[in-house]
Amino acid sequence: MVDLLDLSRFQFAFTAINHFIYVPLTLGLSVFIAIVKTIAYKTKDPKYDKLAMFLMKLFAVNFAAGVATGLTMEFEFGTNWFTYSKFVGDIFGAPLAIEGLMAFFLESTFIGIFLFGKDRISDGMHTFSAWMVALGSNLSALWILIANSWMQTPAGYKIVQTPQGIRAELTNFWEAVINHTTVIRFLHTVTAGQITAGFFVMGVMAYFLLRNKNVDMAKAGLKVALIFTAIVSVAEIIIGDTAGHLVAEYQPLKLAMMEGKWKTEQPASLDVFGYVDQSAQKTYPFIKIPGLLSFLAYHNFDAKVYGIKDLITMYDQKAQSYANEANMLKAQYASNPNPALKDKIVADEAYAKAYNISSKDLPPINLVFMPFHIMVGLGFFFAFVTLWGLYLYKKGTIYQNKAFLKTVLYSIPLPFIASELGWMTAEIGRQPWIVTGVLKTADAVSFNTTSNVMFSVITFVTIYTLLFYVYVTTMIKKVREYEDVKPISSTVPSPSGVSIGLTANRTDLNDNNRIS
Amino acid sequence: MGILPDGLFTLQGLWFLLAGVFLIGYSITDGFDLGSAFPMIFMKKEHDRIALYNSVAPVWDGNEVWLIAGGGMLFAAFPTVYAASFSGFYIAILLVLWALIGRAVAFEYRNKRESMVWRHTFDFIYWLGNVLPAILFGVAVGNAVVGVPIDKDAVYHGTFFTLLRPVPLAMGLVSFFMFAMHGAAYLLLKTEGSVFEMAKKYAGISVVGYVVSVILTNVLAMAEAPYLYKNYFTYPILFAIPLLMFVGVVLYVYLLKAGKYDKVVYASGLVNAFTVLNVACASFPVLMRSSINPEYSLTVFNASSSTLTLTVMLIVTIIFMPIVLFYTRYAYKVFSGKVSGEKSYY
Ligand code: HDD
Ligand code: HEM
Ligand code: HEM
Repeated sequence: MVDLLDLSRFQFAFTAINHFIYVPLTLGLSVFIAIVKTIAYKTKDPKYDKLAMFLMKLFAVNFAAGVATGLTMEFEFGTNWFTYSKFVGDIFGAPLAIEGLMAFFLESTFIGIFLFGKDRISDGMHTFSAWMVALGSNLSALWILIANSWMQTPAGYKIVQTPQGIRAELTNFWEAVINHTTVIRFLHTVTAGQITAGFFVMGVMAYFLLRNKNVDMAKAGLKVALIFTAIVSVAEIIIGDTAGHLVAEYQPLKLAMMEGKWKTEQPASLDVFGYVDQSAQKTYPFIKIPGLLSFLAYHNFDAKVYGIKDLITMYDQKAQSYANEANMLKAQYASNPNPALKDKIVADEAYAKAYNISSKDLPPINLVFMPFHIMVGLGFFFAFVTLWGLYLYKKGTIYQNKAFLKTVLYSIPLPFIASELGWMTAEIGRQPWIVTGVLKTADAVSFNTTSNVMFSVITFVTIYTLLFYVYVTTMIKKVREYEDVKPISSTVPSPSGVSIGLTANRTDLNDNNRIS
Repeated sequence: MGILPDGLFTLQGLWFLLAGVFLIGYSITDGFDLGSAFPMIFMKKEHDRIALYNSVAPVWDGNEVWLIAGGGMLFAAFPTVYAASFSGFYIAILLVLWALIGRAVAFEYRNKRESMVWRHTFDFIYWLGNVLPAILFGVAVGNAVVGVPIDKDAVYHGTFFTLLRPVPLAMGLVSFFMFAMHGAAYLLLKTEGSVFEMAKKYAGISVVGYVVSVILTNVLAMAEAPYLYKNYFTYPILFAIPLLMFVGVVLYVYLLKAGKYDKVVYASGLVNAFTVLNVACASFPVLMRSSINPEYSLTVFNASSSTLTLTVMLIVTIIFMPIVLFYTRYAYKVFSGKVSGEKSYY
């Protein structure tokens, strides 16, 4: 029997994972294109202009899918998480609204100018619009991650009673915005996007080189992408490590699940790879390195790392003390009905409810433990591949080295996968709470009929599967098509005369059709 | 008692006005896309269909953001209303969502294959993706102002079919024809040749449809929801709003008859703005009426966010709204002029 909560969770997870297929590439590629476009603008070298315009077409295909799936995310808080939206709207709604106003408008308006305006505006303005698209998409990531980080590590709020139930109210805007983890999670996510774009471009360029097509452009593209990706891949390891510290500090239960620790250890060993037997409450690691987890999480080989079982007991004690305090205050309130007391009671009761958890409420821990280690493994793999590339580049053999070219080509999907795994770690690891320590996911769902949600789940699965298929085939088709394209100045013939790409054939208009 | 409703100039009241601004912004900009798509299925020639897409291709995404930002604003300023309406109108909201997804996808992927089956499938998706929201927006707003079964915790007790009552359905027709008028006016501005000729007829039909559906709505509302007229009689100055709406319609017909085709769009913009304001006026201060007990209605006063959140959001809006308007104007300027169906943007 599936219940409403499971279905709603499945739908949210499914739609979010689908949205995040397209997001990393938008984030990273927008920045990369802006860089290439700037090089083209400065050097007036046609191969960079050609590269920028080629990537732009791929970007457009990806962007549309990102927009289509992003809409769902915006609607879904209201449709499926009624209690949640009512409870946190005062705080959570603001970043979402600011995201629209500050980022989506910018991104969506300039993408139109950028994609279709080339022959109507100056080259400088065109370069500028590339940067505005990059700025817009990264600002959107900032604001949505502010919202998400607030759910992970809430700050700057208080709990109050309203006519339609209790809710969290903003007390300090900046504390809520720059809560404990916003900055690092933003950096981690946009860097992930840049790695994704970097590998994507390297892979496509490698494909051209392997088939001996567009060689000038491919060499230039591979070089720029390699340098770009090497920097961000190495940075990501450092940023990821910092993200880990913050998890250890603010979300100890998540840390315990990421590492599969049932019992408290001091010092704690690092258990890499393996599997978790949740019913027996045991973890079977393949590799065990003594003391390393203590060091990684707290930079101290002797630090104590709490296990899941102890944490649950500790949270229950916390719940109990909130409940006791609430009861005591209620007795006081009876004799002295003071509104400040009332707020305190409401808050205490909310916390007592939120912290009251048992091992039954835990998510599937394998889905935190395994994704986390694979993501980290991939992170090291990316750094390794790019450093290898730099070495080959210095030696001057990179464009001929088949092994390297094939590696980057087949690595294209891996950063996408790493990002999804990262989100699984972050989101499933946050369970059983939707807002850590404040509201349980189980208490957040809409009052709805199972059949309604079943209907929407089936529709989403159908639409998104079709979308993904159309997306992948179109991307591949666009790359293949480009193999046969002559240099930029000539016109691209097209069978029906209408399906020509974006701008390649419009350069002839460039001079007489300008506006500014 | 003043000449304008009490509480309009409080922080919450201002937010009510801002919500109106977003709705108007949406209906004027995305109205171009929604309305211009309706003739799609009546067009036989590939060339004409491409002209339709081209007329909005560079700007549609920015237009749609009015909806996204407006949704975010509703969430931020009136979270309970956002929660109650989106979860209550579940199936209706998802239909709008899927329609908009289909529309976005059709834009990008339609011209990626030569096959006519492929293209006509996307044309149909595109058409539906515009028609469905155009109607459902009116139905949803209609339900919110006429009243839906929500209890004291703002939980909705009804089904999809609860929403299909006469007044809201009539309002669905109003919004459909309102967008049709606007889309037709936009096509008159942006196209030439056979599409332009078609747009002339289309404009005439839609203005008649609009007038008929407005009359129908009022007849039904007087019988079923007389409370919607209370504000007007308490504050007679508000009659200015329906009057201006009427002026918009007259202007539209005049410009059409006089052959000033590049100006019609101003008249339809006026009609859009005052239709939205009219509904807002009828409802103030209620955002979502409860048909179970009027006490449970969500109003701008009992369902708004905290003062701090409203203030922060007001500041953000005051700073960013002009910037947005500035570059939106720039984008429309860059792409001004007639489009043809010779080459596809995508
Ligand atoms: C870290 C980045 C990130 C994350 C976690 C999310 N998104 Fe997203 N979103 C983007 C980064 C992004 C983007 C890169 O800016 C997109 C992707 C493709 C695109 O075109 O813009 C986008 C598009 C996009 C759109 C369409 C915007 C438009 O029309 O231009 C909406 C409405 C949302 N998103 C809403 C959401 C919501 C409500 C999320 C939370 C559950 C969410 N996104 C998660
Ligand atoms: C786009 C990247 C994201 C991905 C891939 C992702 C993935 C997931 C997954 C896998 C779950 C399921 C957890 C479970 O069911 O146990 C989940 C839950 C959730 N996430 Fe995210 N998430 C993303 C971003 C966000 C953001 C940015 C927010 C908020 C702003 C958010 C809010 C939520 C909420 C409300 C839930 C609870 C519902 C549930 O438990 O399924 N997510 N997410
Ligand atoms: C090797 C180094 C890496 C380490 C140590 C690391 C560490 C982490 C940690 C601790 C989290 C959880 C943060 C939280 O729950 O709040 C996380 C999340 C995440 N990771 Fe990684 N990561 C690494 C590499 C990568 C790579 C290479 C990618 C993608 C290309 C990636 C993408 C993500 C994403 C998208 C999230 C979710 C967003 C967030 O919570 O910040 N990570 N990572």
